[in-house]
Amino acid sequence: MLFGITLLVFLLNAIALGDPARAAMGQRADPEALERLRRDYALDRPLAVQYVTWIGRLARGDLGTSFREQRAVAEVIAERLPATVRLAFAATLVAVVLGVAAGALAAVRPGSALDHVLMGAAVLGISTPVFWLGMMLALVFAVTLGWLPVSGYGGGSLRHLVLPALTLGALHTGTVARMTRSSLLEVVRQDYVQTARGKGLPERIVLGKHALRNALIPVVTVIGIGLADLLVGAPLTETVFAWPGVGRLLVAAVGQRDLPVVMGAVLVFALVYVLGNLLVDLAYLVIDPRTRRAAT
Amino acid sequence: MRKLAGLAVVVALALAGAGASAQAPRAGGTLRAVFSADPPTLDPAHATDTTSSAVIRQVFDGLLELDETLTPVPALARRVDASADGRVYTFALRPGVRFHNGREVRAADVKYSFERAAKGKRPWVFEKISGAREFIKGTADGIGGVRLVDDLTIELRLDRPFAPFLHLMAYDAASIVPREEVEKRGPGFASHPVGTGAFRFASWRRDDQVVLERFPDHFRGSAPLDRVVFRIIPAEITRFNEYRAGQLDLTDVPTGQCRSVQNDPQLRGEAAVWPTLGTHGLRFNVAKPPFDDARLRRAVAHAIDPTLIVERLLEGCVYPARGILPPALPGYSSGIRRLAFDRGRAKQLLVEAGHPGGRGLGPIPFNFNTGDLNQRIAEVLQAQLREIGIALELRRLDWAAHIKVVDDGSAVFFRQGWIADYPDPENFLTVLFHSRNIGAAGNTSRYRNAAVDRLLDEADAMAPGPTRSARYHQAEQAIVDDAVWISLYHYSSRALVKRSVKGLERSALSSAPEFLAPLRRVWLDR
Repeated sequence: MLFGITLLVFLLNAIALGDPARAAMGQRADPEALERLRRDYALDRPLAVQYVTWIGRLARGDLGTSFREQRAVAEVIAERLPATVRLAFAATLVAVVLGVAAGALAAVRPGSALDHVLMGAAVLGISTPVFWLGMMLALVFAVTLGWLPVSGYGGGSLRHLVLPALTLGALHTGTVARMTRSSLLEVVRQDYVQTARGKGLPERIVLGKHALRNALIPVVTVIGIGLADLLVGAPLTETVFAWPGVGRLLVAAVGQRDLPVVMGAVLVFALVYVLGNLLVDLAYLVIDPRTRRAAT
Repeated sequence: MRKLAGLAVVVALALAGAGASAQAPRAGGTLRAVFSADPPTLDPAHATDTTSSAVIRQVFDGLLELDETLTPVPALARRVDASADGRVYTFALRPGVRFHNGREVRAADVKYSFERAAKGKRPWVFEKISGAREFIKGTADGIGGVRLVDDLTIELRLDRPFAPFLHLMAYDAASIVPREEVEKRGPGFASHPVGTGAFRFASWRRDDQVVLERFPDHFRGSAPLDRVVFRIIPAEITRFNEYRAGQLDLTDVPTGQCRSVQNDPQLRGEAAVWPTLGTHGLRFNVAKPPFDDARLRRAVAHAIDPTLIVERLLEGCVYPARGILPPALPGYSSGIRRLAFDRGRAKQLLVEAGHPGGRGLGPIPFNFNTGDLNQRIAEVLQAQLREIGIALELRRLDWAAHIKVVDDGSAVFFRQGWIADYPDPENFLTVLFHSRNIGAAGNTSRYRNAAVDRLLDEADAMAPGPTRSARYHQAEQAIVDDAVWISLYHYSSRALVKRSVKGLERSALSSAPEFLAPLRRVWLDR
């Protein structure tokens, strides 16, 4: 699958208008310098040769050299990856904690005012554009109240992480909350929950222990799928908050036609997605004993 | 040989200015500046953008530099003599200048730096020196016109006189680099530059911040600031919020907020607008139908009213244009006549061109690069041209794709901005309109006018003065009358600078947020 992705990205880049050497030259380009740069970037060779060379290098663990930065792509990405991973983890944490809590609370009394408020908020979270939400959070909590920094990485401080994580996690939180609610409502109608109630167990235990655990299975699936949303949202969140991550790098590289970086960054995103879903599959083993039996 | 009188006078003025300063600079502190993008490189040989240049100008020095009035003044060279025929320049280097690694600068460093940069991304800076073309093409081992006279003297010989040559020597592509550091670091020199500048490189976290610190052994003495931090913040609204939260000392004014910041009680005294060396224009490909017909180009020029763009879209915070050269450029003439907004005349020209009411023209593609402002300008143009019967089809592409269709001639009508690399009319008129520069080199209109070529060739070689200026004005008027380029407005810098920041140059080269001004005179009053 990863091979297919790299081929697709390469071909998309090849048909996109614009020449990486020209884009690197600024507005005024000297024809000879341009030719030399094309040779340096190996852009004078046929497309098939370029791609096969790239794959050959990749097989040796070499992602090539960035046109724009003239450094190893692996180095360029490795510098920014920790920032993106931190942000993605924090956003997922926000989504899981807030989403499950909101969904469970809403499911306690379906149709109540609290349910309406929480689910309304969830829809807002899903439908609010990331860029706008980020701007508003920064305006309120950083500029007006002065509680948190406006933007930046801050050398990795937790305070700098809060607003970007909330922004990126918002969409996801909404999805998780809605899924938790509907899944819980589904589960509470089942016989074993009625049995638990019949035994006279307090509602807190019935919902929190017996029902929620089973209700979480589809929620975990949503979290896995939601990884894709995080990857889509990362470039925007990183831009609003000047967060030095891979998303911003990818956007800049596309603009500059820095093909080696685009290929490298897409490959990393694809890997993150695959690994994330692998983690979700492993999580099923923990939550759902049936999958354990099936696996053995 | 004659001493360049201009240089001596300007140095005297600069000294007088320094003495007259009301407050003595206070040492210490960190200036918190900002960029809108990560610099692609910090190597003067490979930079092509203002962000990179803004750092390079602090870390490196050239033989000369431009002062606030855009006049070349001595930097690493303490004196420059020009031969009477304007073809030989002799630079006497300041003795005892040290690189950040402690070694003294010698004339051989100049030769090395120029030959290295001539094979970089801005070879045109050096191509006026005899033998440079051969060297760039690889048919010569060195640039023949560069001669080391002694350890501290270097002579540069040109093929023919070129008036803005000293401007080129003050340009950041001509910065002096230490050979041993370049060789030791290889491509890594671009991420860890070593120069002679008032600030030395401290650290760079990509897409986050570049940090410079004071170089105490700078040849002009130690700068007041301890450190300069350039944060990298891509979204203009985020830069603005950081400034309002007190986390930045200077930034740019976000699009559409020029008036509101000037009326904001808190920001009023901190907002500044000043003219810079750029022009926003529209260009035609004059080698291709339909705009190979000058009457049609003139019809378009007469149908466009830039006032709407200047006053409404840009809130009057840019400068209305007559010709191509911006008013802040030395050599600007206020006597240029633009093709005035006159729909009647435009319609009549359409009739003369055989397209009454725009008949037979079909939708004409208009190319512009991505950006909210460019989109809105394109929509205004579309509406205004519809009034005379011309339908524009808007084609929005990102920068890399836009520059491609512009360079290869497939775009017939397109936007193009131009910001001077150095303050001389040659950098506008010759680069953009001489037939020798057709295509990516600058003349994307593919304009060929032998009379204009001749005027430009003559002026480029003349010594600065009224005769030279008159030639440029004649050429500029001919280009405007031919409607090869339609100026919409001249650029400005719209900046927010905290009151505590003193000594920041607001020259026409400095455009917020990427100030190109030297920061060695800046100090903080807090």
